[in-house]
Amino acid sequence: MDILEAAFSKIWPKKGGFWGPYLMLSPAILLVGLLVLGLAYIGDTSLRTLDTSTFLFSEEWSLANYERALTEPFIRSVIWRSILGATIVTMTTLLLAFPYTYIMVRTRSAFLRKFLLIALFLPFFIGQVVRAYGWLIILGKQGIVNDILGLIGIEPLRMLFNYPSVLFGLVQYMFPFAVLMLAPALTAIPEEIEAAAESLGASWQETMLYVILPMAKSGLIGAGLVVLTLSLTDFAMPAILGGGTQDFVANAIYDQFFRTSDQGFGSSLAVLLIAIGSLLVWIIFMLVGAGTLALGAKDK
Amino acid sequence: MNQPVAQKLFFWILIVISIITLSAPTLVVLGASLTSGNIIVFPPDGLSLKWYKALVEKQELQDAFIRSIWVAIICVLISLPAGTLAGIALVKYRLRKGALIQTYLLLPFTIPLIGSGIGLMLVFGEVGILGSLWPVGVATAVINLPFMIWAVSSSATGLDPDLELAAQSCGAGPVQTFFYVTLPSVMPGIITGSLLMFILSLNEFLVSLLLVDARIVTLPVQVYNSIRSIITPDLAAVSVVFIAVAMLAIAILDKIVGLEIFLKSK
Repeated sequence: MDILEAAFSKIWPKKGGFWGPYLMLSPAILLVGLLVLGLAYIGDTSLRTLDTSTFLFSEEWSLANYERALTEPFIRSVIWRSILGATIVTMTTLLLAFPYTYIMVRTRSAFLRKFLLIALFLPFFIGQVVRAYGWLIILGKQGIVNDILGLIGIEPLRMLFNYPSVLFGLVQYMFPFAVLMLAPALTAIPEEIEAAAESLGASWQETMLYVILPMAKSGLIGAGLVVLTLSLTDFAMPAILGGGTQDFVANAIYDQFFRTSDQGFGSSLAVLLIAIGSLLVWIIFMLVGAGTLALGAKDK
Repeated sequence: MNQPVAQKLFFWILIVISIITLSAPTLVVLGASLTSGNIIVFPPDGLSLKWYKALVEKQELQDAFIRSIWVAIICVLISLPAGTLAGIALVKYRLRKGALIQTYLLLPFTIPLIGSGIGLMLVFGEVGILGSLWPVGVATAVINLPFMIWAVSSSATGLDPDLELAAQSCGAGPVQTFFYVTLPSVMPGIITGSLLMFILSLNEFLVSLLLVDARIVTLPVQVYNSIRSIITPDLAAVSVVFIAVAMLAIAILDKIVGLEIFLKSK
């Protein structure tokens, strides 16, 4: 221990403690630096066009990939599908997550609270692929729902590989994120406020609408932003539940890298996706304020 | 609290829908793994453990599972020290440009996973380490690092600076203070964070998919590749492994810090 202390005082002198905290932060900063480096590579690659006759990338930079991305009808439809999907998923998830969180926070029953927490964490910890696999078993052509329908003599329905099934899978995937971000905001609202609103004659709808929702605004915005950006950029649900017909932007990027091998075009799509995501977040900031993102927890 | 009946009804309908939606895939996978038939049908053909027995012979599934565990271990080994130090530093010191550093450290959450994955793929490709397993662990550590920092820093806010001063006035050096005072007091955060990192890394699909090749597929990628061909019950049995690990993680989390910690207001 003494040797350690001696060695430590050499690298971290008592009085010159200015660099100490930054030294503690440096491993994390370096790790995240890998991402920044990756982004730089994506940016660079996105400016190089693929020569389809030689399969080599151009030496010079040009904006040709971006022009193509913004004009190609297929890409445009993929982008719209992603934005529309993310918006619907965000609305639905918030609608479902709000009452869930509300009851979970307010209930007097410790058992019910624990049950709701476990029902929340279990899918959260299981991962997207296994969950999507479960939905395949349930909704597939020979799936459980169709088996049950068959028992009462109804023709099998085609419930998979369409837009609604992707959105449904996304809502289920996003739900725990939304609840975990809403919970602190709802916990912070004192119960007495509701009692006060009611004693002043507000109906429960009025209490919800004019008291609880405004007070939970920051939590709702935080949850909404996380759900919006995560579902906008999701890959697994469109890939598995959409069966290749309902691609989101992430799937289009993947295909450019691994099917078409046009890394330049794929990179330009990745840059566009990051730009669209940031733009949406910025618009929401402008419209309703920043809210408290859960990660604001870091600055206590 | 006396909720009106109408409110209760409205809320509970939505909650029941949510619970069913949350739990249905898990329950169905559990059920499907126990079928004695060769395809998954409802009502099931009968109960058996034969698909679990079949797993023993499926070498590629076992290998994929072991690789996933490796990836998760590497992820924790990297993110635990990095995230713990950063989490403590962010709370303990008034840093110049503190807000900027926080925003920077949140980048893994603000950059879409597909962007992070492709970026890391290009970086790793450039240095020529694509095709080995440990870079996948590094990648999952990077993309989930904010969870580790968050877990540690939220338990470090409860840290009383006087305690560290007291230790030092009793003659402890900074290293001793760190290991005997600072570290134990943020231990719940370290455990929570490491558990989250382990689970998220074990389950990580997209970044894994981008960074592995056919020789080193991880379990989520293996499952993904298989469900694209045919759905057989042995896949359900292997999915139950994920469910079991998730249950274990929840049990540990609940025992050590209590799941209710996630409901706390900041």
